[in-house]
Amino acid sequence: MPSSPSSDGGAGAIRVPAGALATTLRGWRETVLVVAALLALLEAGSLVAPPYILPGVGAIVQAGREILTSHTRDIAVTLLRLLEGIVAAFLAGSLLGVAMGAAPALARYARPFLTIVMAVPALNWILFAILWFGSPELRVFFVIVVISLPFYALNVYEGIRGLPPDLVEAVEAFRPTRAQAIRLLVLPHTVPYIMMTTKSVLGYAIRITIFAELIGTAIGIGARLNAAQSQFRIDAVFAWTAILVVINFVLQAAVERVDRRLLRWRPEQALR
Amino acid sequence: MTPVERPATSGQPLDLEAATWEDAVVARDVWRSFDGVPAVAGLTFALRPGEIVACVGVTGAGKSTVLRMIMGSLVPDRGEIRVLGHDPAREAALLRGKIAPVFQTDRLLPWRSALENAELGLEILGVPPAERRRRALAWLERLGLAGAASKLPHELSGGMRQRVSLARAFALDPQLLLLDEAFSHLDEVTAASVREDFLALVRPLGTTCLLVTHSVAEALDVADRILVVGRPARVIAEVRDTARARADPGARERIRREVLEHIRSAMSR
Repeated sequence: MPSSPSSDGGAGAIRVPAGALATTLRGWRETVLVVAALLALLEAGSLVAPPYILPGVGAIVQAGREILTSHTRDIAVTLLRLLEGIVAAFLAGSLLGVAMGAAPALARYARPFLTIVMAVPALNWILFAILWFGSPELRVFFVIVVISLPFYALNVYEGIRGLPPDLVEAVEAFRPTRAQAIRLLVLPHTVPYIMMTTKSVLGYAIRITIFAELIGTAIGIGARLNAAQSQFRIDAVFAWTAILVVINFVLQAAVERVDRRLLRWRPEQALR
Repeated sequence: MTPVERPATSGQPLDLEAATWEDAVVARDVWRSFDGVPAVAGLTFALRPGEIVACVGVTGAGKSTVLRMIMGSLVPDRGEIRVLGHDPAREAALLRGKIAPVFQTDRLLPWRSALENAELGLEILGVPPAERRRRALAWLERLGLAGAASKLPHELSGGMRQRVSLARAFALDPQLLLLDEAFSHLDEVTAASVREDFLALVRPLGTTCLLVTHSVAEALDVADRILVVGRPARVIAEVRDTARARADPGARERIRREVLEHIRSAMSR
């Protein structure tokens, strides 16, 4: 019997449906049909087009098998880089967001700064990273962090601004220390904002990671793609593409699971 | 003796000569305005330890402002407030854990279970986990929520949620309970049952209670004494013998009408 939405204000009030990828996955029968249709189309195309334009499904599967036996290290490296970057952006961005919430003067300057950072195209950050840093690891790390951190900072800041005054007063009535108020009220309240940011940043971060690897590193999925391209291995490019799609699906689904677990306390609401 | 008494002079204490700083709550000529609009104007009253006092007045009469000043989250422009002998705003540390509020809406933390919500005050006080769990659970049981301890607020009904917020207040073992329209948000049947349980639990404890409400009927049902406040908040009349009124339906109705008349005349003035 939900009757008091007052304790559940801010962005938490209306539940945004799960990400597009997860929604697609939910209709798995349709997904399977679409995949089958794509494969059939590819196979049919390979019969007319030359193999350096469209390889057959058999060739792609063969290339995929090759990748999964000899290039698992590249996949692991890419995933690790992604994880490092996202975790660092989440930690530093959330911290900055909390600091902005606590110090309005900081927020006044941080907001335009972060907006400018966000307006710089990802490709430019990749070029800066290559010019500034010699280490390929540092390059990729820098790019992921500089692109994801502003989202975390601004969303957490918005979350703190959206703290329901009723709840603040109720908690303050017990006279908590500042640290207690942050631990008991502010941090749990920002979890939905952090999860929302992670969901929207993840797909973007994967693309950026691959792109940064393509230009700035010697190992990783991006570097392998670069190599495949320069060797005219279109079958390998297709196989890597399929692997990336699967990785994207799996990561989105994983975040979705964590999200549902962490936000069990939120009643599902939908707009009608 | 008429049951409803008017202060001798407007804004003056009824029997404040008898008030001492040992009283649970004392307000002496308290004033507070917001952007030039007075919310509290010359409020004076005293609550003796163990008393259950209702403060009745129209919506927007500044009753919640009074509670905020007693909680120490708001400072009077003029006048003095003492809670358990301390200034609630300046000596907040000394009153830690001694005042517990119950609000109109439950104000439970939506991510915490009923039990975790009931533990909140104790957790802030630094009570060890096992001890606070035991105390919070005992209060949930007393309020009829033994089976709902692990439920999240959105899984509970409005009445149950308000019971959890009562448990959160009781678990603290406070010396002063402040109830801000704590039963007004519930339907009549639920409100009556929550109110009855509250009274049954609070009476034996002897906790001082200040209950702010716009309902004269509720005040007559619950309180030992009723302070009738005008807008802006100041005591315009007092009902001392609510027990007698409760025993006699005729007297009760007469007092109820008289109190309403006081409130109405204060508004038109």
